[in-house]
Amino acid sequence: MSLGRRLIGGVLALLLITAGIAWSQFRATEVVSILMAAPFADATAPLVERFNQEHRGRIRLSITRGPRDTESISDLAISSLLLGKPPYDALLMDVTWLPKYAEAGWLEPLDPWFSATDQEALQDGARLGNSYQGSLYRWPLVADVGMLYWRTDLMASPPASPEDLVRISREIQAAGKASYGFVWQGRQYEGLSCDFLEVLEGFGGTWLDPSTGQPNLDSSHAIEAANWLRSLIDSDISPKAVTNFAEPESLQAFKAGDAAFMRNWPYAYAELQKPDSAVRGNVAVTTMVSQNGEQPTATLGSWGLSLLSESPHQESAVKAIRYLTSEAAQRERFLKQGYTPTSAELFSDPELVAVSPVLPDVGRALSVAVARPPSPLYAQLSDVVQRSLSSVLTGEQSAEIAMEAAQQNSRVILQSAGGPA
Amino acid sequence: MSALLVCPALLLIAVVFGYPMLRYGWLSFHADSVLTGLVPIPNGGANWQRLLGDARFWQDAIQTGRFALLSVGLELLLALAIALLLDQRWRGRGAVRALTLLPWALPTTMMALGWRWIFNTPYGPLEQAAAAIGLPALNLLADPRWAWMATVTADVWKTTPFITLILLAGLQTIPADLFEAFRLEGGRPMQALREITLPLLVPYILLSLLFRLAQAFGVFDLIQVLTGGGPAGSTESLALYAYLNAMRFLDFGYSATVMLGGFLLLTVLIVIVSLVLNATRVINTVEP
Repeated sequence: MSLGRRLIGGVLALLLITAGIAWSQFRATEVVSILMAAPFADATAPLVERFNQEHRGRIRLSITRGPRDTESISDLAISSLLLGKPPYDALLMDVTWLPKYAEAGWLEPLDPWFSATDQEALQDGARLGNSYQGSLYRWPLVADVGMLYWRTDLMASPPASPEDLVRISREIQAAGKASYGFVWQGRQYEGLSCDFLEVLEGFGGTWLDPSTGQPNLDSSHAIEAANWLRSLIDSDISPKAVTNFAEPESLQAFKAGDAAFMRNWPYAYAELQKPDSAVRGNVAVTTMVSQNGEQPTATLGSWGLSLLSESPHQESAVKAIRYLTSEAAQRERFLKQGYTPTSAELFSDPELVAVSPVLPDVGRALSVAVARPPSPLYAQLSDVVQRSLSSVLTGEQSAEIAMEAAQQNSRVILQSAGGPA
Repeated sequence: MSALLVCPALLLIAVVFGYPMLRYGWLSFHADSVLTGLVPIPNGGANWQRLLGDARFWQDAIQTGRFALLSVGLELLLALAIALLLDQRWRGRGAVRALTLLPWALPTTMMALGWRWIFNTPYGPLEQAAAAIGLPALNLLADPRWAWMATVTADVWKTTPFITLILLAGLQTIPADLFEAFRLEGGRPMQALREITLPLLVPYILLSLLFRLAQAFGVFDLIQVLTGGGPAGSTESLALYAYLNAMRFLDFGYSATVMLGGFLLLTVLIVIVSLVLNATRVINTVEP
């Protein structure tokens, strides 16, 4: 055998061995796939890259960029789940989806992986909305909570009660310092349910009766709350157009300096500090007003990661979930994109507070956060409330009649879907 | 023997139409939702009771009806004009005939995306044109009063060619010597249209009317892509509501009820339309 032949043989053998190792490496790499709405996927991209470097050869995390719109991404996820064998291992879930997905049996409980200590490290409100019927199904990625924005240049301290808010608004409007008192989300959509929940609880009411799980929308508190919102429009404290306001419209009015108060989510703060804002440096946040003797309340938003029960890569997927929700990741997302963190410690972190001085207030709002009804039928129940409220706000129906209808319709929905009679 | 020959067709109808309808009917008397673990459990008439009191269903029914009636009405008028034109002899007629069919050949989702761009505020061509002549922002897709007109516009653009095709086929069955005789008798062109063309075209008009009404009443893809049912639910159709109940709310029992309810309403609509046509004696004119 000549030297040349031996050489060729040797090289071939070497190639084969390398290919074999590469193949086994490739085979050993578990691909974990997570579906996220595009903005979150983009915000997470640098973290994913680092995760993949750290886990090279073992786990490869791949994020699917889903539609931007909350409803569209839910449709996409549900379609793949109904067909069975979904192409994802984990989903980024809105707080209102969780009961529906958990009840359908699509989610894997996370209790084996996340300890009580992990839970305690979370800010109060960030612990809400992750469990269903005693099992943990979601780990929060970003916290979100409804708040009352107020103008520090127009008043010394924020209002605590509905009466305060009305009185201060009137004074400011009478003095011509702002055209409107209070802007909020009055359009017939999910935001209206969020706003109403805060006012409802502030008036001492509840959406569902906590003891029976039955709707509680025809209570005197609920009627009072609806009437109060209506009276804001009647007395010009809120503009007539508020019945078509979602978050962007409210923000626009408040940013232009046209209102003394605004109800919105934490993201609005960064917008209000931009150079084109008329209220830059004159904004603070607090919780929604409540009647004397009642706790103020903040509606819980928030997105979190859930593991799918059909995922064949559960261990690896949980590693990825842990990585993406780590304190370091939260810090990075807050500093780069302004997403509210979930770890209690970070709310008083000097570096973060220097960027956003209202962060401790956001933390306080989270500590009084309430979740929307944790029902698998939440979407329908919310639709009923939105319709009834919209008819009160536009003056088509009295609060008594509309809330009575909301109560009846909610009961019928629960009953026809096989819920408690 | 004749009964035997009809059997295969009947069987086919039973499998592709009869069974699904019966299944829907059965499902509409059951709770089959995420709360029941997606297992059907009889719930009496609870779904139907809910349907009767469901403001969203009735609002959607009215919206679907007005969408169907207006778009099919406009399509008929336009299609008649276009078909008459395409029936004449002129240079390049063949090419134009092929071109007019194009919108019909496009997939609905593609053309709906196109229209969404046309109506886009503030970047779409329509808004740009309005701004160029000094009009304020139109905001068509964001205004509950106008958004449904946008859906009608897109539907008319897309399906007029379909009716044109049927009417054109109808026009070609009218013997040319009828017109010749009419002209020799001293009849004018407009009279010919009224006395010959339209009466002989009635069966074709009715066919396309029924076909299109049923189709427009079940509109789904156009609305889903163009407006998603918004703003404030003002363009939501019954088919979209049924879809939402199944796919988003995971309530298959009620979804089946909405679908059947819509089917019943469509039947009523068609009966009313044919009664109106009867009353105006349009149908009678075709009798020999």
